[in-house]
Amino acid sequence: MAERPEDLNLPNAVITRIIKEALPDGVNISKEARSAISRAASVFVLYATSCANNFAMKGKRKTLNASDVLSAMEEMEFQRFVTPLKEALEAYRREQKGKKEASEQKKKDKDKKTDSEEQDKSRDEDNDEDEERLEEEQNEEEEVDN
Amino acid sequence: MAAAAAGSGTPREEEGPAGEAAVSQPQAPTSVPGARLSRLPLARVKALVKADPDVTLAGQEAIFILARAAELFVETIAKDAYCCAQQGKRKTLQRRDLDNAIEAVDEFAFLEGTLD
Repeated sequence: MAERPEDLNLPNAVITRIIKEALPDGVNISKEARSAISRAASVFVLYATSCANNFAMKGKRKTLNASDVLSAMEEMEFQRFVTPLKEALEAYRREQKGKKEASEQKKKDKDKKTDSEEQDKSRDEDNDEDEERLEEEQNEEEEVDN
Repeated sequence: MAAAAAGSGTPREEEGPAGEAAVSQPQAPTSVPGARLSRLPLARVKALVKADPDVTLAGQEAIFILARAAELFVETIAKDAYCCAQQGKRKTLQRRDLDNAIEAVDEFAFLEGTLD
């Protein structure tokens, strides 16, 4: 089964959900229409990639970056996407930054724990279970440390 | 406005692979980034990008924006196709509605001949 680029489809369930949310309640979509939209989305990505790549090459870069894609959108006459995409990018950057800080915080927490609580083995169990509840763990620590 | 939702960070919508969790918003807020920045899996988008022989590398941000742009595109084309269905007083989007939209809208010209 040769894999042509157009065969790389995006997940049907997600495509369906996006379509349903874009349309008013009660509107349905036939299977053929849905799969056509899915394929159209793949073609869109391929076309946008190609455009974006041109901008990257113009800038003598080998890596596609966000601004290349934004420039591609304008080139493809999808200017109306540019503003929402910029907003999404801002949010994405904030999230990435948050994740990075969270994992750095986790590291600090673990170091702190091994130093001050070698006796309390049960704490370690809590640590393993609730990796996400950083703040709560910090509070518990503060209580113990006095 | 958007800042409030972005800060929470609790992935309550990403509860399980099924996605149809109990917590479902009545109306999808299109302007709030929030916990759901992109629904399309970045890995698949990346696979599409890599399929282009001219592309050497693509940054994570670029992949993310492409995924988000693809979502916007799906919304846009679905709405445009729906206008055609509405004229025919139908409540189900058919393939021909899509074909009509592609022919009618200039921005969709790149799709001509690719969906067969």
